[in-house]
Amino acid sequence: MSKGKKWLVPFGTLSEPRQLILLWISFTLPLAVWAIVSYVPFVWHPLVKIDDPGDVSYFTRDALIERTTFKAENAKLAASGGHIATGTPANPVFLPAPHEVAVAFYKSFTTPPKRKGDKWLHESLWQSIQVIFWGFLWSSVVGVPIGILCGTFPFFSRITEPFVDFTRYMPAPAFGALAVAVLGIYEAPKIAIIFIGTFFQQVLVIANTTRKLDTSLVEAAQTLGANRRQLLFRVVVPGIAVDLYNDMRILLGWAWTYLIVAEYIGASSGITFFINQQAKYRIYDNVFAAIIIIGIIGFTSDRILDWIGRQLFPWQKGVKKSLLRAILDRRRNSTQNTETANANA
Amino acid sequence: MQTLNLPSHLDQSPEVAARFSKLKSRPVILDVKHLNKTFHTHTTLNDISLQVFRREFMCVVGPSGCGKSTLIRIIAGLETPTSGDVLLEGTQVSAPGSDRGMVFQGYTLFPWLTVKKNVMFGLEIGGRSPVESESEARQWIDLVGLSKFENSYPHELSGGMKQRVAIARALANNPRILLMDEPFGALDAQTRCKMQSYLLEIWKRVDVTIMFVTHDLDEAIYLSDRILVLGTNPSRIMEVIEVPVPRPRSSSQFLSPEFLATKARLEELIHGTEEAEPMPLPKIRLTHAGDDVE
Ligand SMILES: Nc1ncnc2c1ncn2[C@@H]1O[C@H](COP(=O)(O)OP(=O)(O)OP(=O)(O)O)[C@@H](O)[C@H]1O
Ligand SMILES: [Mg+2]
Repeated sequence: MSKGKKWLVPFGTLSEPRQLILLWISFTLPLAVWAIVSYVPFVWHPLVKIDDPGDVSYFTRDALIERTTFKAENAKLAASGGHIATGTPANPVFLPAPHEVAVAFYKSFTTPPKRKGDKWLHESLWQSIQVIFWGFLWSSVVGVPIGILCGTFPFFSRITEPFVDFTRYMPAPAFGALAVAVLGIYEAPKIAIIFIGTFFQQVLVIANTTRKLDTSLVEAAQTLGANRRQLLFRVVVPGIAVDLYNDMRILLGWAWTYLIVAEYIGASSGITFFINQQAKYRIYDNVFAAIIIIGIIGFTSDRILDWIGRQLFPWQKGVKKSLLRAILDRRRNSTQNTETANANA
Repeated sequence: MQTLNLPSHLDQSPEVAARFSKLKSRPVILDVKHLNKTFHTHTTLNDISLQVFRREFMCVVGPSGCGKSTLIRIIAGLETPTSGDVLLEGTQVSAPGSDRGMVFQGYTLFPWLTVKKNVMFGLEIGGRSPVESESEARQWIDLVGLSKFENSYPHELSGGMKQRVAIARALANNPRILLMDEPFGALDAQTRCKMQSYLLEIWKRVDVTIMFVTHDLDEAIYLSDRILVLGTNPSRIMEVIEVPVPRPRSSSQFLSPEFLATKARLEELIHGTEEAEPMPLPKIRLTHAGDDVE
């Protein structure tokens, strides 16, 4: 622990335990707010859930009634001496309590869909993941090489980037109808939308990343006799690898935002469709469960990619070593460090 | 100053004179002919001609902006001259090639390669087998004294160590000439001193000609056979000084009469032209009247 050190140090570093504490707070704080709004009766709770309808003709058991209406009716009843309605404060259906979502979370994987032919939550999810995967893969297969070429050779930059820049302002959804006409109504047009949404940004982002490569490395390689092809594959590609990898992580996040549009065109399917279906049935517990699952998938996959990145690029300064690598390196370094002092010329 | 009783930098002892006549009898490695370089309208190099002999150590000095880097980059093939020729062993130079090694002021090791892989880079792209390049790279790493670090990444090395790797990497290609543009400029004084003697040791052991740009006049005298002094406004070669300090060099020679005479001449050439413009007085008085330093 960094004893006595302040928590707020500009551009400073936080100790490992502090990082964990903050990570924990970043998730528990919103959860706590949600729990307070859900469970503390005098916070918000604009509705009343009827326990006993009393003499009010249109009240039924378990109905959700505006608090003002409830009070007005009861006042009327009190004046006329009727049987007073009772109820407990409640939130609207679109804000289920955490435990309800937790239950729905569990149930959505264990109970069959309400209507025959509808997809289970995990089936919808799997469909969505496949659409993202193929859309992003195809975009990357084409976009990454083009981006790198554009960043390396002004020739490719001049011949493609103006057009790409022009197309990028056309919203991907605008191509929806066209994609369906050309590719049918199933997965293909959805993949195409993800492709269109990702590709043009990808080319420009990667071209820029490539241009940021330290030119002195390129010059050093040239004076070592590297030809054009060797420069590209032995200097440019490894030189931008770290940044490229991080770009891809960000681009993958963007691809998810195009999913919403993609799943609306042709035959609706996937997680977006599931969410809308459940909202139509007013099963908001399921809606929240689905949204949270998307969050979990996004977050964990990004963590995994981050971890993989650190394994892939061991030359990065300040990269946190994996336990295995740290153990392997310790042997080598212990012999080296003693030499450093002498050899440090 | 002591300039009064200094000898002329032109006075050479018989040994030194013999050394120079031997040097000049060697074949010309680098022949620069009427080189001109204009950026937009600004003439950076104007009719530069010079010859460097095989195994010579030549330093290039001159005021900032006189075109030292430009000259060395043209020789490396990284910049194209507006007119004029660069001949390396009689062959015209037009693009970068492995026959001219270069060490830059900034650290240009490939961060994604270990020390060994960095040194192997030129060998591998030159078509040598991995086994062969590895054993050859090891020898060069040995020469610069970094065998213990062959598997380290550049970010794990100090500045001096990085430059030693850069020298090994350039020399592994077996270049005819090694071009160095202020390679020790970013190092602290002590490390710099060590690196200079290192470089001389390496140069003794390897058949290579060195052209070395520097700002540091002591460094130039300590290292060179001859010093090329470039001038600015107008751009020209002011003088090519034959350093009268005998070899082998050591730091004890820094106060020898030959050394001081050479330095005096260099300072006269460089600072004589760089007439410092009087600085305008600041409008605001920053110190109290009584606190004036002089
Ligand atoms: N790519 C370029 N475009 C325009 N002008 C340039 C370029 N490269 C160099 N110059 C100009 O040429 C002149 C000489 O530059 P150069 O870098 O060769 O000087 P230098 O002697 O190496 O200076 P320093 O000692 O500061 O390194 C400078 O005035 C500079 O502005
Ligand atoms: Mg320079």
